[in-house]
Amino acid sequence: MTIAGLVRAEEFTPPGPGDFELPALFGGVDKPMLQLVLAALLVVGFFWVASRRGELVPGKLQFAGEQAYTFVRNGIARDIIGSRDFMMFVPYLVALFFFILVNNFFGLVPLIQFPSFSRASFAYGLAALTWVLYNGVGIWRHGLFGYLKHQSVPGGVSGPILALIIPLEFISNILVRPFTLALRLFANMFAGHLLLILFTLGGEYLLLTSDVAFYKPVGVVAFLLAIAISFLELLVQFLQAYVFTLLTAMYVSGAIAEEH
Amino acid sequence: MNWILAAEGEPNPLTPHVAEIVLGIVVFAILVALVRKFVVPNFEKTFAERTAAIEGGMAQAEKAQAEAKAALDEYTSQLTHARHEAARIREDAREQGATIISEMRQQAQTEAERIVGTAHTQVAAERQQVLEQLRTEVGAIATTLAGRIVGESLEDEARRRRTVERFISELESQDASPASSGGGR
Amino acid sequence: MSQSGPFTEPPASRSQDPWVAFGRLVAGVGIYGLCGWLLDRWLGTSFLLPVGIVAGAALGLYLVFVSVRER
Repeated sequence: MTIAGLVRAEEFTPPGPGDFELPALFGGVDKPMLQLVLAALLVVGFFWVASRRGELVPGKLQFAGEQAYTFVRNGIARDIIGSRDFMMFVPYLVALFFFILVNNFFGLVPLIQFPSFSRASFAYGLAALTWVLYNGVGIWRHGLFGYLKHQSVPGGVSGPILALIIPLEFISNILVRPFTLALRLFANMFAGHLLLILFTLGGEYLLLTSDVAFYKPVGVVAFLLAIAISFLELLVQFLQAYVFTLLTAMYVSGAIAEEH
Repeated sequence: MNWILAAEGEPNPLTPHVAEIVLGIVVFAILVALVRKFVVPNFEKTFAERTAAIEGGMAQAEKAQAEAKAALDEYTSQLTHARHEAARIREDAREQGATIISEMRQQAQTEAERIVGTAHTQVAAERQQVLEQLRTEVGAIATTLAGRIVGESLEDEARRRRTVERFISELESQDASPASSGGGR
Repeated sequence: MSQSGPFTEPPASRSQDPWVAFGRLVAGVGIYGLCGWLLDRWLGTSFLLPVGIVAGAALGLYLVFVSVRER
């Protein structure tokens, strides 16, 4: 942002939300849509090929696939949901994590370089599915009223204040969650990508277009920063996929938990 | 995020697009279905097989060890048995050999005795036969000889017999050799 | 994120959403701020909106404390 303020020259237009509205390639289909399909194909293709042989002593590919699968299966699903129920949710969580991960990595993959989830609507879709999933299994486990009570009535609160707490807890658990889930993913991808194009376009402008000699080294610095931000983005892209999957597992775990 | 909302003329990135939401849901739902159908069962099967292989490997090793021990025991017992058997056979053979030898000896002795006995009998019979023949011939010769010497024919049967009898009795009372020599000459 | 193999069974840790505090604060401010705003419009007053927001935030915080104490 500081660089953007620095280069408020006539020719330079800082990147904005308009840069995320890509033109349709054919018949209303734009690049992010294709990326979404491509990511799904990559995920299922990789895991299918890696798991197909099913050898007791795995080869390199199968080992990589097993490590990735086990990371979500044990590291997220089993640790959060518990070994009694987790197997039911493993397909969803594995698909979720790697689908988001690949789509996020698209932000740095050369020639693609656009994180699919910087389109908020994709994040809305996934959050909606997670919302349906955890509420669905909660109702399936506790019954509709049992589940509403389970999610709305917190333990340890009694008396008249409970009446004020119940709508708050209901909104917090049922309504706020999908929005924070979707917005967290979207905002991180959006901001990260915006930052990247800002630094690269800004650096390019400073180096090539600007007349002021002092701006040229600043442009180099901007490029170096863009590279540094790329590595930061790599971390953020992984973390966002992880957090989205982890929170989904936690919501499911909370929805089917017996105690309260 | 105020600056995004404040930007004039810029599209609001938060605006939901139904087409994108639906596409995202459909693509991801298909992905989950494919993962559930083709990926998770494969991995779980491999994990289960691996667990079974490790546990089964231990059980198998124990079983193999037990089997090896059983086989060793069996071999040892078989070996001992074979040794006993060999000793017994050797003993049997020795006894049998001794029996055979003694039997053979017995048999040979019996045979020898039989042969000797047969020879004795034959010799006796032959001797008897020769004696009979001699007696007849010697009688005839003696009679003829006596007739010639005496010059008279011993035609009288009774006398002739008496003479012969007497002669033979004399011959017998003497040794056989003068009689035979007398007969041969 | 412990990289335990697929053969060990760790105890299920029923850890809760770390964002639940944020959610409760947002929910509290949102719902009671909305109540205050609606009451303001209905009664023609203007002080109930901030009261609602503060009350909602306080209730949200209280709920966070309670749930932390419960565990």
